[in-house]
Amino acid sequence: MYWEKQLETLAHDELKKLQTERLKETLTYAARSPFYKQVFQQKGIRPELIKQPDDIRRLPYTTKQHLRENFPYGFLGAPKQELIRLHSSSGTTGNPTVIFHNRHDIASWANLMARSLYCAGVRDTDVFQNICGYGLFTGGLGFQYGIERLGCLSIPAGAGNSLRQIKLMQDYGTTVVHAIPSYLGRLYEIFQAEGLDPRKDTDLRLFVIGAEPHTEEQRQRIEEMFGVKAYNSFGLSEMNGPGVAFECTEQAGLHIWEDSYLVEILNPDTLEPVPDGEVGELVLTTLDRQAMPLIRYRTRDLTRIIPGTCACGRTHARLDRITGRSDDMFIIKGCNVFPMQIEGVLLKIPEVGADYLITLEQRNGADEMIVDVEVKKDWFNGDITRLDRLTRKITQQIRDEVLAKPIVRLVEPGSIPKSEGKAVRVKDNRTLNTVKL
Amino acid sequence: MAYQVSIFLENKTGHFERVTRVLRENHINIRSMTLTHTVSGWGIFNLLVNQPQKACEALQDNGFSATLRQVLAFGMDDHPGGLDETLVQLARAGVNFLNAYGRVLEDNKRALLIVDVEDYELALEQVTAVDLYPLADELVYGVTSKKIS
Repeated sequence: MYWEKQLETLAHDELKKLQTERLKETLTYAARSPFYKQVFQQKGIRPELIKQPDDIRRLPYTTKQHLRENFPYGFLGAPKQELIRLHSSSGTTGNPTVIFHNRHDIASWANLMARSLYCAGVRDTDVFQNICGYGLFTGGLGFQYGIERLGCLSIPAGAGNSLRQIKLMQDYGTTVVHAIPSYLGRLYEIFQAEGLDPRKDTDLRLFVIGAEPHTEEQRQRIEEMFGVKAYNSFGLSEMNGPGVAFECTEQAGLHIWEDSYLVEILNPDTLEPVPDGEVGELVLTTLDRQAMPLIRYRTRDLTRIIPGTCACGRTHARLDRITGRSDDMFIIKGCNVFPMQIEGVLLKIPEVGADYLITLEQRNGADEMIVDVEVKKDWFNGDITRLDRLTRKITQQIRDEVLAKPIVRLVEPGSIPKSEGKAVRVKDNRTLNTVKL
Repeated sequence: MAYQVSIFLENKTGHFERVTRVLRENHINIRSMTLTHTVSGWGIFNLLVNQPQKACEALQDNGFSATLRQVLAFGMDDHPGGLDETLVQLARAGVNFLNAYGRVLEDNKRALLIVDVEDYELALEQVTAVDLYPLADELVYGVTSKKIS
């Protein structure tokens, strides 16, 4: 039932005590980093000031902007020789967001992942196919280490190549799959095209889905299509990646591991805490990370704490699904994209104007990002191959920047709203409620 | 030195008509046309008109991405095999087409083949090397009644 019964069912006051201790330790590690050292000195912050978890409110916030400005080592609280891995955001314009881990951090993360999977019902008898990009993206190795820690047979399948994915499932009797929800609709279509029914022709029993917003209805469709139970996973690269919060078999919200993360839900405008049950911005502090602790990190994700206790017996708070963002980031094909990144790419391409429109929609069961750009009038010379080459060039450069491949559409000059004022840059036409059956 | 007017157009209902309206208002006569399009949602509308310069400026004034583009125009006999004879010569010259279209002349005895190429200067060298000469402008645009030879 539990991976770590004692920790997962810790009584409220015990949990607070543990958080207080770990928060103090975290401040000690943080104070070794150039960034926090300076901030702490300026504001007279010392670990001894922390008497209870609520004292976190005396500490300053950390934002993505801080991480970028202090790239690469400004947040490092451990000697470089101690580091064993980094994960980094995509992006060729500006500084990426990079997180460094030492041996302790990787072990702690792997354990949280194993705990997460165990609470969703994954066991060491399972064959676990991780359909997720490996490399700098945290979903690959993050899951991999957790799967191994739990003791399943892992299949590090990587993303894409649906026919091979199906073959792997059949060859090795895959029982558990981790993938982004929008991919699963596409995968189901391939099953159908091959004349296969995943309910009869595979041993699949459990899915882990995440890295992309989706609704309850979408989850249920996935469960029906594949004849499995699907559990929601939540994480962000700044907080390691996956394994921050996870659904248990009750499917009644995502337990956020409070022994490792201090949770605040704040009104994004006033930054005052909101009561349990009310939606606000999720602000997280790492409690078990040594190399690169982050304090009061503003995730910009909007969610709420589900009031009450969970029937599973775990005492860790439950997060609701992410309902939106307090900034303009969107997620496509599992990749986090800021419109500014697309703008940055277009500004470097002299053949097109800087105005653009991003449309997100579902085509053939998969999410697509369509980018409309205006061809400059004086560059147009009637040569169709030149326009085709330009389309390919823009597609490639956006792909290099955000990792997701866009559909680039050249449009007539003047057809996109100008950038003065609050021009709409992103149109999200995805109906979260429908996965194509 | 014949020119066609090329216009960048989104593949949307009504966009075609916006072009022809401008031409009509400016009393431009269309001699021939093609629409090249890709599946990407946009296309190029190519027009052979009696006054290319005037047409192009009028379209630009109305906000279009319009440009004058040099094309090669050849005369050919309007009878079965006529196009083939011309194409054999162009193939021998080594000319590669981006686009091509035609126009039958009033007397139904001669026709025009208009060829759009990626590199006009190169194509011109290639055709003259096999003694194939593009037609004079006034014949292409149809502003004279002179016999086309």
